[in-house]
Amino acid sequence: MDITVKILRYNPEKDSQPYFQDFTLKGISEDWRLLDVLHEIKWKHDGTLTFRRSCAHGICGSDGMKINGKNRLACSLLLKDINTSKPITIEPLPSLPIIKDLVVDMSSFFQKYEVIKPYLINKTPPPPNSERLQSNENAEMLFESAKCILCACCTTSCPSTWSNENYLGPAALLKAYRFTFDTRDDAGDERMDIVDNPDGIWRCHTIFNCIEACPKEINITWHISQLKKKISTREI
Amino acid sequence: MLILCLIINLPFILMSQNSYSKIKTFDQKNWVKENLSYKKDTGSWAWILHRITGVALIGYLFLHIYSLSPLTQGEAAFTDKMKSFTTPFFMFIEWLLFAFVLFHSLNGIRIVLVDWADGAKYHRSLYVWSWIVGVILFVMMGVIMFSYEIGLLAK
Repeated sequence: MDITVKILRYNPEKDSQPYFQDFTLKGISEDWRLLDVLHEIKWKHDGTLTFRRSCAHGICGSDGMKINGKNRLACSLLLKDINTSKPITIEPLPSLPIIKDLVVDMSSFFQKYEVIKPYLINKTPPPPNSERLQSNENAEMLFESAKCILCACCTTSCPSTWSNENYLGPAALLKAYRFTFDTRDDAGDERMDIVDNPDGIWRCHTIFNCIEACPKEINITWHISQLKKKISTREI
Repeated sequence: MLILCLIINLPFILMSQNSYSKIKTFDQKNWVKENLSYKKDTGSWAWILHRITGVALIGYLFLHIYSLSPLTQGEAAFTDKMKSFTTPFFMFIEWLLFAFVLFHSLNGIRIVLVDWADGAKYHRSLYVWSWIVGVILFVMMGVIMFSYEIGLLAK
């Protein structure tokens, strides 16, 4: 199978604007992942092509990119699952500053993540001779939200993020759910105060782009809606 | 000794302070371009249509108040103004206005269900159902509005 790949290139030392470069690859198997295609280009065609990848098995979340107009992980996408009759377009994650080619500056993404205090805060001493226990029901409630790998596919796919750079974004709000609904955590109110503002949870307009983009198939909007309900009812 | 240490380390101190800020990045932030180029699914279409119908309904509100303004000039002026709205063209526009109201209100219910019930788990079927209910009500309203014209055609 022959394919054409259109990649957005940007070299900060040479280019003033990003531009698309076409690569034609011959004899590609449809069982290849998009990441294998990028490796093929980097190793055999153009060694200057720059992209992030680490585990290459959909766990580390480093190779999030916009493929054919949609955010996905290059390592979790098979060629047979996309249309290869037309050129495959690969761009960096939207809205984040491009450092080089497909590598973006994730600083703002992680700053927003840190804002919601993504760690267990406990004000009571642990029970003697045992760990802090959690019920099965509570663990069930957190399983889906704990699957997040912080690839930034959701936050950068959200139209609210594109138009407002201060919006916390789905990934941070999902993590806020994960700790607010944890019975072992004591800082739920503190976290709800942080997300309860126009640049926080209320900027979510239920557009569902985050769900479409999430490589872990987390229903992020559902988790955000649970937080919205909790915030709205805590005063009543 | 301290001065010597400083002199030896000075280039490294300066380099470490400035190395990060020296990275040149390309700011690709452009919400119009992203909204146009990003692949859309049911949720994004519902959001786009909700915004368009919302803005259109605000526009209609101004038109509505403008069309009622002859009330201050007496009954004759008002009746004269109202006459222009009974033409088939304006009736068709009003029928379309009903479509905008229908979409905005039914999708509004969908959004309430997403935020307050478990609607996020079945948002696609909610969207399809809002269209089915909307089209049925739209056709029904058409039959009611154009019953006189339909009667004429039947004869």
